[in-house]
Amino acid sequence: MVSKTNVDKRLLSLASVVVVIAAWQWGAGHVSGFLLPAPIEVLWRFLDPKSLSRLFGALGQSLVQLGLGFALTLVVAVPLGVLIGRSRVLAQMFEPVINAIYAIPPVAFVPFLIIWFGLFLQARVALVFLMSVFDVLVIMIAGARDVRGTLVDVGRSFGASHGQRLRLIVLPALLPFFFAALRVGSARAINGMITAELFFAAVNLGAIMKRATQNFDSATVLAVVLLICVLGLLAQSAINLLERHLLHWHVRPA
Amino acid sequence: MTARLQRLALPCLGFAALLLIWEVAGRSLGPALLAPPSIVAIQFVELLRQGEMLRELSASLRQMAIGFIAACLVGMPLGVAMGRSQVADAIFRPWVSMFVVTSTAALIPLFILFLGTGLMLRVTIVFLASVWYITLTTYNGARGISPQQVAVARSFSASRLQIFWKVILPALYPYLLTGARIGLVHAIRAMVLAEMFVIIGYGGLVHRSGLSLDTAPLLSLLITLMIVSLALNWLLGAAGRRLAPWYEQQRVGA
Repeated sequence: MVSKTNVDKRLLSLASVVVVIAAWQWGAGHVSGFLLPAPIEVLWRFLDPKSLSRLFGALGQSLVQLGLGFALTLVVAVPLGVLIGRSRVLAQMFEPVINAIYAIPPVAFVPFLIIWFGLFLQARVALVFLMSVFDVLVIMIAGARDVRGTLVDVGRSFGASHGQRLRLIVLPALLPFFFAALRVGSARAINGMITAELFFAAVNLGAIMKRATQNFDSATVLAVVLLICVLGLLAQSAINLLERHLLHWHVRPA
Repeated sequence: MTARLQRLALPCLGFAALLLIWEVAGRSLGPALLAPPSIVAIQFVELLRQGEMLRELSASLRQMAIGFIAACLVGMPLGVAMGRSQVADAIFRPWVSMFVVTSTAALIPLFILFLGTGLMLRVTIVFLASVWYITLTTYNGARGISPQQVAVARSFSASRLQIFWKVILPALYPYLLTGARIGLVHAIRAMVLAEMFVIIGYGGLVHRSGLSLDTAPLLSLLITLMIVSLALNWLLGAAGRRLAPWYEQQRVGA
């Protein structure tokens, strides 16, 4: 019964995607002044070996700054978030400050990053970091505060040392929040990756987009958007898969 | 009493620490790299007096409001429909989950091709940046409505319309509000992003002041953005508490 409705839903989703793409293909051919390039044309950007190698070459370069920036975010924000979240005084002191800075749209820092880091790799890494660090920090603070006192008390009454309580109780209880932070943070970092390539010196995927925009080659622009979108979806599913593998004991509320 | 004092004093201490570090760093780096707060404060008052900053800000915010209100008008009904109907969920789910991971920055070059660089571009970008978050938050709320509540209403022979207005909508209230707040954060970010890309309005002002040799105006503009973002968020929260005081502000995930 349940599986049947699930199959029906999948079919309906698939139908929705197919119908829209078919309508889009038809519209691109038959409606004059239709703005979007035909889906076949976009797909061709991935089938043609020359443009494919160009796209994936650029993506590989883009992933470098994504990896560096997001790694930096995790190294800074995860320990800092746990530290602030576990201490009531630190939380009361710094949470308002963090929220205030978080309220500034990160892209507004771009002129600053140019002054400090120039226009190239360092600046791009800095923007990826800046765009993801606060999201991870806020989630980790909430998570560290959420670790239930009763759990820690049980550990204490069984004679667990401070280190044992941290390692065996607090850290595992934090893992679901860590994965939530990964999910949100990676999406923001990918956003930062492409923003950086468009706002600093145009390189990699950003350069392909800018050139295509100047040539009114909307199919290529859309191909890059699609590539980034697929990258985001893949990152989300990879994180979900890892979470299910590592956290089989934890049921995530839907 | 001491707990209350602590709640007031600690955040002030946090901000004082931030300002102190900033002042020391600013003085040693010089205003070309980081203007200290003492200089920024003077500059801030000066910019307020000149009026250009506030003029651009109010024009930009009005344009943002168009996109944001449109996003609420589309996202909220869509979220309710997806949350209450399996069919609507199946049809729209793939699109929403795809668009929500698409980075807004990557869409700007595409929409410049379609819409040029005028008002429509900015409104569209703001709309696209915020609508999916509003939809998803509403969706989570609509799905989480307890079936018992609906069943009770039904057993008192409430009509479908009555159930919607008297049970579902009030239960959704905190989610609509949270959706609007999350959407607003993304709308402001998108506003600055789009304006910095085509160098117009407040974002254009940020971009231009980044070119000067003094970082004080740039920092003043960032602080104004921060104040606006915090104030609008607070305003939405206050409006919500006033309109539905029986609902405590719920924390629902983004």
